[in-house]
Amino acid sequence: MNSVVIVKNLTKEFDGIRAVDRINFEAKEGEIFGLLGPNGAGKTTAIRTIATVLSPTDGTAKVCGFDILKNPERVRENIGVLTTDIGFYERFSGRENLKYFGQLYEISDQALDTRIEELSKILEMNDFINRKAGKYSTGMKQKLAIARSVIHDPKVIIFDEPTSGLDVLASQTVLNFMRKARELNKCVILSTHQMPDAEKLCDRVAIIHRGKLVADTTIEAFKKRTNTSSLEDAFLKIIKERHLNGKFYA
Amino acid sequence: MRNIITIWKKELKDTIRDRKTLMAMIVMPMLLMPLLIVGMGKFAEYQIKKAEEQEVKITFINKDSAPLLVNFIQKQDRIKALKIEGDVEEFVKNKKIDAGIVIPQNFEEAIQNQQPVGIEIIKNSINEKSSNALARISTAISSYNNQILQERFAQQNINPNILSNISVTTKDVATEKEQGGFGLGFLLPLFIVMWSIVGGQYTAIDISAGEKERKTLEALLLTPAKRMDIVFGKFLAVASAALVSVVVALSSIYAVISIFGFSPTGQENIRIDFSIEPQALILLFIVSVLLVLVFSAAILSIAIYAKSFKEAQSYIGPSYLVVIMPIVLINIMPGFKPSLEFFLIPAVNAVLLFKEILISTYDVSHILVTIISLIFYSLIALFIATKIYSKEEVLFKD
Repeated sequence: MNSVVIVKNLTKEFDGIRAVDRINFEAKEGEIFGLLGPNGAGKTTAIRTIATVLSPTDGTAKVCGFDILKNPERVRENIGVLTTDIGFYERFSGRENLKYFGQLYEISDQALDTRIEELSKILEMNDFINRKAGKYSTGMKQKLAIARSVIHDPKVIIFDEPTSGLDVLASQTVLNFMRKARELNKCVILSTHQMPDAEKLCDRVAIIHRGKLVADTTIEAFKKRTNTSSLEDAFLKIIKERHLNGKFYA
Repeated sequence: MRNIITIWKKELKDTIRDRKTLMAMIVMPMLLMPLLIVGMGKFAEYQIKKAEEQEVKITFINKDSAPLLVNFIQKQDRIKALKIEGDVEEFVKNKKIDAGIVIPQNFEEAIQNQQPVGIEIIKNSINEKSSNALARISTAISSYNNQILQERFAQQNINPNILSNISVTTKDVATEKEQGGFGLGFLLPLFIVMWSIVGGQYTAIDISAGEKERKTLEALLLTPAKRMDIVFGKFLAVASAALVSVVVALSSIYAVISIFGFSPTGQENIRIDFSIEPQALILLFIVSVLLVLVFSAAILSIAIYAKSFKEAQSYIGPSYLVVIMPIVLINIMPGFKPSLEFFLIPAVNAVLLFKEILISTYDVSHILVTIISLIFYSLIALFIATKIYSKEEVLFKD
């Protein structure tokens, strides 16, 4: 399997505060890679930097062979990001929202229509896709946001807290979507603090805490090393150790 | 290029679907302009008419010393003589009456003996009706004077025309078109400047600060579209909205004036010859477009800097003053002759140039300086907007 996301020494500072501190990891095709960490650990900043919305203070990353500094437009073409804060053009229908973004990815009209039909079916959006997005429920919005993030069928999909605030049914749709993407040989990066979700889905995980990467391994190896039986316990243990001992390194 | 057009089209569509922006862009200029122009004229007309028709209250002191004069004044229209008890000056001061006429005891005697005689009029200069009364009394007295003189000349067999040797008539060399242009010279440029800001304002806020507020900005930045293309597409949308506004406002003004005429002072209805030469119209349009470009880019920069709709509005509000104040100052300065440097100041230059065009004065250096400086400013403003759009702390300040 090829590594399609390679992060090297990535660092991002805001006003001298390091939100992301020299992190390194690789994510491959056909796997779900978990980026775990408590709130405020730096996950979202790391994702925004990889997706070229923010520029790194130091270090770099490559997505499908394109450097985020040298080829930001090509990186964005190959990456689909589901952000935590989602919003839509509320006077536009779901379909119109998707069309607009599809056009910005320079997808031809015909291919775009086919793609929207396809996504609408997978994500069960047929009932509401033609309604104004301003009237959507949280679950509908999340589905539309997922559709928007993958409208251009990217090789790399990054989901940032995709199930937060969703009910069980909607969560299930999202999780299934990620499994399906893995089957299609996509590289899926799941950023979350929901350990049960991560345990069910992820092939490998990395833990970020206070901007630093403190573990990067398979779930099994991780549990074994921390001598715990669930990912949640392992996670808690490693975070607590970090709190007690600032010099802990994975 | 394709992305610019995609963004431009989308933002316009979004604007048209929004009732609030549509109001500011089309409905307001369409309704407000006629209301202002017709309303202002009618109001002035009404005020003048009211003042003319108003009856003024006066009183005489020593009424019996000049029965003929008193009778003559009392016969005048809209003058009502009242009898009062007490101090006349007090009454005039309290605005209970508008003027008092003090007739000397020896009035009739002096007239009979053909001696000069004075009368005193008590007025109150902070009572508008008092000045009105004074004017009417003066007119009455001078007619009365003439009447007496004519009698005297008649007695001595002298032709009364001996008195009126010089008479004055005027002839205005300004054509109707120039008069109209002069009258509109203040209002029209002001409206063009105003609508080129107001018309684009809501669209600008909606597609920048509004995009932050609705949290669609990040998704937009995640697309491969270049930041520059995004800014350009949005800028074109704001400029289009503003231009529509200006055109709607001008058409509406044109329609209203051709139906109702234009009377800024209410005194006379100047029939404006609106046959502006084609080259003037083209020039007017070019300068308007440039003005719209400058303001659109400026407003977009301000609006993207703000993180919410409200914040953007509170930034843009005061900026009106900055633009409008110099224009008003220039207009109220009597006999203001602009030197060439004034044509370097954005908005001011357009206003000055519009004025010149409207009275058919063309100064090539003024036209060139205005056009070039406006192009320069819109490029600068656009450059700033692009810079702001690539500032992370502006895009993601929470």
